[in-house]
Amino acid sequence: MLQEESDISLIIAQIVQKLKGSNLYAQLERQAWASLQRPEIKLESLKEDIKEFFKISGWEKKLQNAVYSELSVFPLPSHPAAPPEHLKEPLVYMRKAQGSWEKRILKSLNSMCTELSIPLARKRPVGEQKELLNKWNEMGTDEPDLSLFRPVYAPKDFLEVLINLRNPNYENGDSLSFRTHLGLIQVPLKVKDIPELKECFVELGLNTGQLGIDDSTQVPPELFENEHVRIGQKVLAEQDSAAAQQYIRQGSPTALRAELWALILNISSQPEDILYYEQLKTNVIQHDLLVDSLIYKDVKLTASNDDYYFVFEDYLYQVLLCFSRDTSVLNHFAYNSASPPKSYIRGKLGLEEYAVFYPPNGVIPFHGFSMYVAPLCFLYHEPSKLYQIFREMYVRFFFRLHSISSHPSGIVSLCLLFETLLQTYLPQLFYHLREIGAQPLRISFKWMVRAFSGYLATDQLLLLWDRILGYNSLEILAVLAAAVFAFRAVNLMEVTSLAAAEAVLADLSTLKVMPLLQIFLFATVT
Amino acid sequence: MAGKVKWVTDIEKSVLINNFEKRGWVQVTENEDWNFYWMSVQTIRNVFSVETGYRLSDDQIVNHFPNHYELTRKDLMVKNIKRYRKELEKEGSPLAEKDENGKYLYLDFVPVTYMLPADYNLFVEEFRKSPSSTWIMKPCGKAQGKGIFLINKLSQIKKWSRDSKTSSFVSQSTKEAYVISLYINNPLLIGGRKFDLRLYVLVSTYRPLRCYMYKLGFCRFCTVKYTPSTSELDNMFVHLTNVAIQKHGEDYNHIHGGKWTVSNLRLYLESTRGREVTSKLFDEIHWIIVQSLKAVAVNASPSLTSSTANDRILKYNLINDTLNIAVPNGEIPDCKWNKSPPKEVLGNYEILYDEELAQGDGADRELRSRSGQSLGPKAGRSRDSGRTVLTTWK
Repeated sequence: MLQEESDISLIIAQIVQKLKGSNLYAQLERQAWASLQRPEIKLESLKEDIKEFFKISGWEKKLQNAVYSELSVFPLPSHPAAPPEHLKEPLVYMRKAQGSWEKRILKSLNSMCTELSIPLARKRPVGEQKELLNKWNEMGTDEPDLSLFRPVYAPKDFLEVLINLRNPNYENGDSLSFRTHLGLIQVPLKVKDIPELKECFVELGLNTGQLGIDDSTQVPPELFENEHVRIGQKVLAEQDSAAAQQYIRQGSPTALRAELWALILNISSQPEDILYYEQLKTNVIQHDLLVDSLIYKDVKLTASNDDYYFVFEDYLYQVLLCFSRDTSVLNHFAYNSASPPKSYIRGKLGLEEYAVFYPPNGVIPFHGFSMYVAPLCFLYHEPSKLYQIFREMYVRFFFRLHSISSHPSGIVSLCLLFETLLQTYLPQLFYHLREIGAQPLRISFKWMVRAFSGYLATDQLLLLWDRILGYNSLEILAVLAAAVFAFRAVNLMEVTSLAAAEAVLADLSTLKVMPLLQIFLFATVT
Repeated sequence: MAGKVKWVTDIEKSVLINNFEKRGWVQVTENEDWNFYWMSVQTIRNVFSVETGYRLSDDQIVNHFPNHYELTRKDLMVKNIKRYRKELEKEGSPLAEKDENGKYLYLDFVPVTYMLPADYNLFVEEFRKSPSSTWIMKPCGKAQGKGIFLINKLSQIKKWSRDSKTSSFVSQSTKEAYVISLYINNPLLIGGRKFDLRLYVLVSTYRPLRCYMYKLGFCRFCTVKYTPSTSELDNMFVHLTNVAIQKHGEDYNHIHGGKWTVSNLRLYLESTRGREVTSKLFDEIHWIIVQSLKAVAVNASPSLTSSTANDRILKYNLINDTLNIAVPNGEIPDCKWNKSPPKEVLGNYEILYDEELAQGDGADRELRSRSGQSLGPKAGRSRDSGRTVLTTWK
């Protein structure tokens, strides 16, 4: 009892500490002062009256949402004496692996830099600044010579690193047994099985209405859709983050999605936020970074060629170029196993006072990175709002897809979850694919790293990301990947090569995500 | 089983021929006995021109109505809509209702338009009322964006003035005629770009009017960002969306060809603008289509040239569904056919308007539930909510 209490007070103390520096705190203070003018606030019962005022005016709700947001994002300290590295990643071997991976990436970036004799950063001459400002809304028409740039890494390079991960403390013996994991990932992380997933994703069950299934044209809307929309509107009116998160597990109506996501991510476009974005834009105008070219290249190679997202090319530059310069993103490294690459001012190698993070936000984009932003363009067309939403999505979810950690939503766990599900519930398929040299993870990895962006139709992708927000977890990506294999199992059993398997799974654009998930979790005989 | 359908075409396109062959239809020449002739526009003109006096027999179907150019040619289209509106007004139909400024409430879907050189003086009068406006000149008989340009000064269209001394070489034949319309310079933009809609509508009969809209229409985007600034009036890549024009722009991307499906458009609009506005938009689009058809006859050939792989697949399926409706069950055509096709053969078409059903008894709601038709899930349902705005089909 005492332990719990002290745990909670520790958590409370931490959250209060975090919120004290926030804008909300300043606003609440101002509101409290202003409320003294109100007749109902009496000196004798000051505290209760102000609390009551906050409740009625909706400020308490905002505070609630902020607290909820902190709880969702920041991991709770397991032990008061745990050092900060443990918050990033408790397992030493994982930390080490992430460290070496980072060194490789940075080396690759630096050598590209040296080869091309391009500085990591340079100040733009005034003329160039003016030009860029004029072109801000159509940077897509720029045709810089990007032929010499290559992406720093691609998902498949990252996969090779994960395949070689080993836990030095784990001895699984030389003899193969039925417990031997036949997949590519060879680390013993705990992943859920289907009964546990069913419990976790209970709202996706057969008896619960879903958007993505029960809103199809054959189903009369009175059965589910109308009521669901009505509830959604109510949730929005209440401005309750926690309720929104619960609600969205059954999917979001298209018209409400933008607002719901903003509510769940606790994003409200305050003037300060718009100002902050404008400041980032100024940074872009004034300084040119090497990573900018990487971003350009990535957008040109991926989003520009996509059937759905090509329209939003210019938005992508506006978001990603600003993102690279946003130092507030550095905060998320407290709970990310990754660390921001450090660079030193020329000639001052090793001197900490001359160390800078590069890029300023500490995130080096890889091939396909822009696809994290693209689907959001379907929801938000105001650049600073779009930016905020993307940034929050990144520091809550997407970063886990390209850093090595033991977190249940980390890419390593997702890969292991995928392989385990396949091996356990579709053993014949798994074995067959392995025999023909088509390890399933080699095909599904890219889907998961990109959170399926660019592989699914946009409306389906948004329904999937609804559930990521609703369950505050990326595990659904692994489940979907397994469900896709299950769906195409018959065809896959007939292929005899990796290329043929890839071909069977090349086009996911016609898939309906929710029925696949539902069938796999709830309607398959296990 | 009765004999196989005999087909002819003078358009060598695989999307057509593959569809005929997969049904096991028999290819014949136009001099033989044929049932189904997919004609090019030129052939239609010859076949149905007054001189040849060609008449279709009862077991023959073609892919165009004889008066299709009433919708293709811009001047005829405008004439027909104006005439239709006046007729409705004369009948006292509620559709022709106007507001206090004299604007049609329900039939205001064509911007102010004049024929040149015939209406030149009328146009000048209108132009002078708002001299800073932009107008768009479109040649009557051309397609694919050819010959279109924008003007904002009278001097730019001096040639078309009837009194002009230079008009002697501008023949009065319909080939040189243009329509000039008020240019709408605040179009809906997506990603800062202008786009248009390419929708496929199949008209199977005129009386009663039975038409179907293909669900998989698409939007075509400009490659360049839109700007209403007058300096860009000459830049056709900003203002015109025809693929033929965009294809030659520097930024044209051959993998996707600057297109979105209509369902994408719907998703985007619903997400960013809300459900009601989007449903209203699509209702109104359908309304315009049906009214235009009622005003007149049917359009000439859509382009069967495919620009991308996806495009080819789309057009193949489109022709497939079209044939399924037009020649149900692969039976030899019979001009006495009058039944509505059953829902299963519609494929990706939806019933846009079925006059017989619309004129049957009972409210719209009853009709829809009886025949299982709807104009798309959201559009149909929104009407259930009892709106009395004239976006119903009666």
